[in-house]
Amino acid sequence: MEKTMPLDLLSSIKGAQSSEAVNKLFDVIKGAVPDNHTEASYDMDEHAVSIHDLRSDEPASCDADQKELIRKNFPAEKNGYLVVPKVMEE
Amino acid sequence: MESEIGKLHQDLQEGKISCVQLVEEKMKELKDSRHNTGNVLLDDLARSRAQAVDAKLKAGEEIGLLEGIPFGVKDVYLLQGAKATASSEFLRNYEAPYTATAIKKLMEAGAIPLVKENCDSFGHGSSNENSAFGPVKNALDESLVPGGSSGGSAVNVAKGHTVFSIGGDTGGSIRQPAGYNRVYGLKPTYGRISRYGLMAYASSTDCVGPIARTLEDIRILLNTMSGKDPQDQTSITSAPISKEVFETNGPGIGFKVGYYTSFLENKALDPQIKADFLSLLGTLKQLRIKVVPLDFYDTEVLVSTYYILAMAETASNLARLDGMTYGKRLTADTLKKGYALSRSVHFTEETKRRIIGGNQILSQGHSEEIYQKARVLRDQILIKFKQDFQEVDVIVSPVSPGTPPTIGSSLNRPLDMYMSDAYTVGFSLGGLPTLTAPIGTATGIQLSGAKNQEDSILKFAKLLTEAAKWN
Repeated sequence: MEKTMPLDLLSSIKGAQSSEAVNKLFDVIKGAVPDNHTEASYDMDEHAVSIHDLRSDEPASCDADQKELIRKNFPAEKNGYLVVPKVMEE
Repeated sequence: MESEIGKLHQDLQEGKISCVQLVEEKMKELKDSRHNTGNVLLDDLARSRAQAVDAKLKAGEEIGLLEGIPFGVKDVYLLQGAKATASSEFLRNYEAPYTATAIKKLMEAGAIPLVKENCDSFGHGSSNENSAFGPVKNALDESLVPGGSSGGSAVNVAKGHTVFSIGGDTGGSIRQPAGYNRVYGLKPTYGRISRYGLMAYASSTDCVGPIARTLEDIRILLNTMSGKDPQDQTSITSAPISKEVFETNGPGIGFKVGYYTSFLENKALDPQIKADFLSLLGTLKQLRIKVVPLDFYDTEVLVSTYYILAMAETASNLARLDGMTYGKRLTADTLKKGYALSRSVHFTEETKRRIIGGNQILSQGHSEEIYQKARVLRDQILIKFKQDFQEVDVIVSPVSPGTPPTIGSSLNRPLDMYMSDAYTVGFSLGGLPTLTAPIGTATGIQLSGAKNQEDSILKFAKLLTEAAKWN
């Protein structure tokens, strides 16, 4: 059986409800008729990043200043440890 | 060619003003401003950089063109050690761990950041009312909105509090506030300026761009910030635009200009803006420029296509904000409830609307009918642009259907706000370079070119600016 996740769970926003304004945008798209251009010379791939042009998949280390700022931004700290609110329950 | 940057550079070099004096003057203006343009003033950083410029000048050294020039930064860019709030409650206390590539390039050229500028939270808005720091007021009339989302940046430039500002444009967020405040604003070709260090809204249309009072300044800033960046895989290589681009050869100079008839059929188009735009087309014809009417999608379809894709992307991009590793955290009896509480309390209503809408769009049952269809429409729009730019050099259009509304009058009418982007979003979907110039209509005009044809639109903007003076 198909199970649809409720919007508040999908969005992690309490009491999430669909919006009338956004639903109107959906209605326009449902009723829109795309052109049917299939121009041979047009290459959609020109909008994609080539696999030959990717940076190497290697971790880059932050410098000491960046590490300090990242630590400083952590929301809670106690006795020199970064505090998380809860462990994962599931 | 008139350039505010060039003039200030000369004044600094000739000792007519010291850099510290210049920075202090601008800082005072920002502090005294009633327009609520600044979230964070960068006093210490600006003063120390200004002192370094003065020391160089005192030693008789030449300084670079941008050295000592004060500028503003929309508060969605990272600048190491400075607050980067995105005008949100969520990130009110967040300090940037590194500096965005575009800002770094300007600072390496010697420019001095003064202020992190108020904007719609996470770029979500067209009026700068959706900010945890309160609304920004229009530079020309304080009762009106300044446009958005880069409202603080456009107002600072218009008021002269910054020599230039760096905005961000996803669906019109540089061009519309530039029009509402009568300054120049450029959304470059997608990828021409690296997005690294710009907080992501909708990654497939997010662009970095300058707002300034002269065309020459726009050219200087574009050249300084452009370039391929290994930190942004979608960035592209581009050639610098020469100063000679502004050397026109009299009326016409062989331009072919298009305009979209569907834009003029928009029922929301203000009659005076329409009349002024048609008058501009008449002026072009007088200049012996060929003016070509072009078919295009209905503005409702353009707005809906853009917002559906942008909401889907922002729902994904902002999923990382949960109060776990940075940003404000609220706790609850379970981890998931804690995430939801942090997000519910710290996001604005408009941001929540877009996240919820984006998750709807991407969810089972909607993705084929809505998201995939919007993708198809976008592909067709790209093909249409490609065909149109085989026929014309530049497309001219109004910036907005209406004039700026009064503050508070449209905040609760989100659909009206989305529709105010009717003329900007199409060019965002196409990734096309588009400039707002403060001429032609009450909110200016847009000039769009084919990809990487920024030189054409700058050249044409110069021609139109001259023509506006004659009229």
